[in-house]
Amino acid sequence: MTGETEGRFTAALAIARRDLVEFVRDRRTLFVTLLLPMVTYPIVALSSALGLRTAVSDLEAKAASSSLAVAVSGADAVPFVDRLRAVAETPPRTGPAAADWPATLEIEALPAEVAARALATGVADIWVEAAAGTVATLDGDGTATLAARLSPSRVAEPRAERHWEALVRAVSADALRRRATGAGLAKGFLEPLRVVVEEGPAVVAAATSIGPTLAGSILVLLAVLTLTGAFYPAIDAIAGEKERGTIETLLMAPCSAGQIVLGKFLAVFAVTLATLAANGLSIALTAAAAVRLLPAGMSMALADPGGGSVVTLVAFAGLAALAAATCLAVTTASKSGKEAQNTLTPVILLVSALAGTSMLPGLRDNPWLALVPFAGQIVVSRAALVGPGVDGAAALPVALLLGLSLLSALALTWLLLKGTAVMLTDEDILFRGPDAATRGLARPAPRRLPTVAQGWLPAVAGLALVWYVQGIAPGNLLLAIPLHQTVVVLLPLAAMLWWQRVDRARTLGLVAAGSPGRVLASLVGAGLVGAGLFVVSAALLLALQGTDVSPAVRSLSQRLIGLIREHPWWVSAALMALVPAVAEELLYRGWVLSAFAGERPGHSRAAAAVVAQAVLFAVAHLLPERIPATLALGLAAGILRLATGSIVPAIVLHAVHNAMPLVLLALAGEDIQPGLADLATGTRLPPGVLPVALVMIACGGALVAVTVWRRPPDRPSPR
Amino acid sequence: MIEVRDLVKHYRGGDGGTVRAVDGVSFAVQPGEMVGLLGANGAGKTTTLRVLATLLRPTAGSARVGGCDAVTDPVGVRRRLGYVSATTGVPDRLTPREILDSFGRLHGLPEPARAARVERLIGQLGLATCADRPAGRLSSGQRQRVSVGRALVHDPPALVLDEPTSALDVIGACDLLDLLATLRAEGRAILLSTHRLHEIEHRCDRFVVIHGGRVVAAGTRAELVGAGGDLEDAFFAAVAGAGVP
Repeated sequence: MTGETEGRFTAALAIARRDLVEFVRDRRTLFVTLLLPMVTYPIVALSSALGLRTAVSDLEAKAASSSLAVAVSGADAVPFVDRLRAVAETPPRTGPAAADWPATLEIEALPAEVAARALATGVADIWVEAAAGTVATLDGDGTATLAARLSPSRVAEPRAERHWEALVRAVSADALRRRATGAGLAKGFLEPLRVVVEEGPAVVAAATSIGPTLAGSILVLLAVLTLTGAFYPAIDAIAGEKERGTIETLLMAPCSAGQIVLGKFLAVFAVTLATLAANGLSIALTAAAAVRLLPAGMSMALADPGGGSVVTLVAFAGLAALAAATCLAVTTASKSGKEAQNTLTPVILLVSALAGTSMLPGLRDNPWLALVPFAGQIVVSRAALVGPGVDGAAALPVALLLGLSLLSALALTWLLLKGTAVMLTDEDILFRGPDAATRGLARPAPRRLPTVAQGWLPAVAGLALVWYVQGIAPGNLLLAIPLHQTVVVLLPLAAMLWWQRVDRARTLGLVAAGSPGRVLASLVGAGLVGAGLFVVSAALLLALQGTDVSPAVRSLSQRLIGLIREHPWWVSAALMALVPAVAEELLYRGWVLSAFAGERPGHSRAAAAVVAQAVLFAVAHLLPERIPATLALGLAAGILRLATGSIVPAIVLHAVHNAMPLVLLALAGEDIQPGLADLATGTRLPPGVLPVALVMIACGGALVAVTVWRRPPDRPSPR
Repeated sequence: MIEVRDLVKHYRGGDGGTVRAVDGVSFAVQPGEMVGLLGANGAGKTTTLRVLATLLRPTAGSARVGGCDAVTDPVGVRRRLGYVSATTGVPDRLTPREILDSFGRLHGLPEPARAARVERLIGQLGLATCADRPAGRLSSGQRQRVSVGRALVHDPPALVLDEPTSALDVIGACDLLDLLATLRAEGRAILLSTHRLHEIEHRCDRFVVIHGGRVVAAGTRAELVGAGGDLEDAFFAAVAGAGVP
């Protein structure tokens, strides 16, 4: 160990030691760390087990208990009741009538109005009108007709009807026997065959395990409670120091901000790990007790409880690190404990929702979910406990899933700690006044470009708005596309342009890319790149996925075909190409990229800005199959915007890219109609088009490069 | 020992404009000397001291402690400087002994030298009776003494204090200033800011008056006050003559 490394850890450990002593003396921390898990799981288990027992008991009681109350009215009510009671004295022992026979049977002859009231109030399950001559008909050779009404209060109860049918079958059988006897027929005449079923050897039914189902829910609860363990220590670690006025003394320590943050992290991580351990212990003890409370025939068996528990603890140690780093990062900018709580609480809710995604059907078996923070650990642990691929668990080997999850957690933890260290020593954050917490929401003074944070805002707001638009958008693309572009793209952009009084021309790139000759060349180059890029992206999609696209992409294709077929070409071109190109380029390559790149960015910042806005742009298109194509489009348009300084070439590139399905259709002619859907999304290409596309990209790129070669530098505006 | 030269510090104001908190301040403090940095609220005292303490990065100029530059060698400055800010607090759930010990660890003091240093400071600061009581239960004076002890735990040759007596009563302030006099006698360079001029009028060797981010007067009491009047009169005269808003 080098002296520097030793010094780094000495300072970090000294801070961690001091903070741990403080945390341990805070009763809130002790409550959340130890008492909460020790109380939560037994309460959840007890209530669940009791609920389960009650539910099972209710089901058994429902299955076992049966009664039927019959009210009979009419001229033949009394003799018919006598006949029913006589039949009820010898209930059937075999057959469907025996299975549906009620345990208790009440039969009363009542006046019609009393019977009707009994039926309405649920006292009687069925009201039968026995007309004059009913019994005589039963004993004779005719067919008696009974009018029966079921109680409305028992409509949902099918057994009353089955009981009544069983009773009717028994009365019919009794009438048949009486008629056979009266006709002098032998008893066996009506029963030519009788089957006696003997009981076989006893078979013990296998217990039903609720372990796999329960494991997912418990793991989500474990994730949330582990996260909660970091809540108070993280608030106390930095925001608490600021509130007590001790942060400046700490920053005066002879070490870097990174070492201070590392020390803080170690202390919060230790408490979070302790919370995890307490939760694990409580789960183990609770499960041992809960097994005894389960109804007979149920178990909590898991495929690999031992190995699964070890994997769970390792995976959740990664979650604990991530939780500690997240809570620290979120609370670093706060000036007080209260402010930190207000900031952290919604984040905890969001993270809990993220953990919950690991239980979503259709998503929970996706192995890539292992990379997602706070959900990945649950995916890994579930696969380890119930077995890979079992009961909706991810199907990859557990070791691989665990590796992915730990790698993701460590990388994110490192990034968060780096960000925390930057924020900790940021002068604006460290010494800001009381009004500065809401300074970001105030309308600022006019300036050239938006900040990086303001660059994120319309893109993230647009992502959220996508969901709302999907709910209200009409199926007709003629209306849906303008609505989508207005709500998701233009509204957030317009709001930001009004709120943040930036230099609009500079931010959105509303400038010409040089002399008329340069402008023309850059536009032609952009168009060539856009056309070629569509074809190459389509070829890439074909290579990766073939023609087996998702129903969502297939549906989009069909709707685009409908748009193209039902309207003039210029309407389709405007809706598919022009409108999205103008709106999306203004937002992503205008606002977002300007904010990310800033004024005269260096190579690394420019590259990071282009990639970041392209990722946001691709994600906003939602459909996974479209992400490679939209990412490539975003990257190309971003490079073009920074290289030329103007938004116009990027708009042309985007518009030509989006118009390519129309062009390809026109080239292919009418005889290729069956492949129209494939062409609309680029899942099928005319032969020989790929080499042409590559040449177009090369030529277009060269043309743009020539136009930006020795381009005069931008002159900053006087503002 | 402490040297500030042409120091400029600008920051962004609430309205997005630039605030010139410090605008070309220069002064120095020698070992065994106690200098009072005088100025009204918002004059730039705290900003100057924060730059010296490496908490703020200067816009221009330099701040050095023991030959180490606050920008290029902040860790070197921190090893040579003890800093007590106007808002300095102490952790409520730790005892004075634990606080001093934890900062000793942070500065890399090895045992048993660290324990000896902590015991010596506890005795020197008059904290023996409350050394093992949680700091949350200490009086304001005792807490301020713990703060000074924390700043001294690594035995720095220079000490910077930002309005150290503002939260203390008369007796507490007097005790603290006596303590600072003792530390000066040990050869430390001490720079303290205050706007309670009467407390330090006869205790500091020299004074630097800043107003509107600039030095408007500097010198010994005799040089500033002249034949008659007191330091307060001299302060008002310097501020009025500066013509700085």
